[in-house]
Amino acid sequence: MSPAKRPEQAMNEFQFGDKIRHILNQGLSLDSRKAARLQAARELALARKRPEPVGVLASTGVWAGNMVGDFGGWTGLSLRVLVPVAMLLIGFGAIYTWQQNQRAAEVEEIDAQLLTGDLPIDAYLDRGFQNYLKTRAAEE
Amino acid sequence: MASRSELSAFLESVERRAFKQAVFAVRDEEAALDIVQDAMLRLAEKYGHRPAEELPLLFHRIVQNAIRDWFRRQKVRSLWTTLLSSLSPSRGEDDEQDPLETLQPADGSNMEEAPAEQLERAQVLEIIEQELARLPARQREAFVMRYWEELDVAETARVMGCSEGSVKTHCSRAAHALAAALRARGITL
Repeated sequence: MSPAKRPEQAMNEFQFGDKIRHILNQGLSLDSRKAARLQAARELALARKRPEPVGVLASTGVWAGNMVGDFGGWTGLSLRVLVPVAMLLIGFGAIYTWQQNQRAAEVEEIDAQLLTGDLPIDAYLDRGFQNYLKTRAAEE
Repeated sequence: MASRSELSAFLESVERRAFKQAVFAVRDEEAALDIVQDAMLRLAEKYGHRPAEELPLLFHRIVQNAIRDWFRRQKVRSLWTTLLSSLSPSRGEDDEQDPLETLQPADGSNMEEAPAEQLERAQVLEIIEQELARLPARQREAFVMRYWEELDVAETARVMGCSEGSVKTHCSRAAHALAAALRARGITL
């Protein structure tokens, strides 16, 4: 086959396919029994379709769709998965920071009391506090 | 998301062609009706929430898979039938049936009163359907998707799960084989 003949042959194939389609479309009439069977199958399929969202959920969906874009396909999947994961990570980060701040504040308070001599005498009787002081001295 | 009316309209527009395609493949109208029903149910249950424009490709893919499933089941069933029939005693000659007694006349074969053109058109249609059914399965799938369902090469490749090059090859071979078979039966399009 020479390259020059290809477009012509492709066109012929397309025209041939077009003619076949017209003829096949003429043979789509079915007898009443088969038509009824197909209609029953269609109705059964429609009955099994998942219900469409209604009311508030539907309006929220439309609003979110307008604001964010398409929720179907990969975009929808990534939004449904990534947003909760991101929220979770932010939550963990916030809790960790708050805990660190709390610890720093406690240490700061004890240090301040030590330096100013405001520490109650009972504190020196506490074994845990003595251990703490030893650890701090070893660290420094 | 496809609404109920969109899904209904889509199924109505595609069900007869799907039925015919299944008949070409399995050559059994009852089985073809079952295949189309299965495909409709699968589409509605699993993909009814997808946008309406995605439905055609999904449905064609489901129909092709349903046809393959049917062939797999037939293979298993014929294996069991062969095994069981070899165990059962052979039938007497009285039980043998003359195939002519149960042979159904083909549609349109009894149309003496019909105008000549209508008869000729019906005969051409019947011959085309017969020759389409004789094509190798993959060639027929590609040809029907491209030229009857009017999918483009990329969409056909997605439905068939093969490369675009394979689709073009299958289509070209199918068109040439079909044209040659029709010419041999005195039909030129």
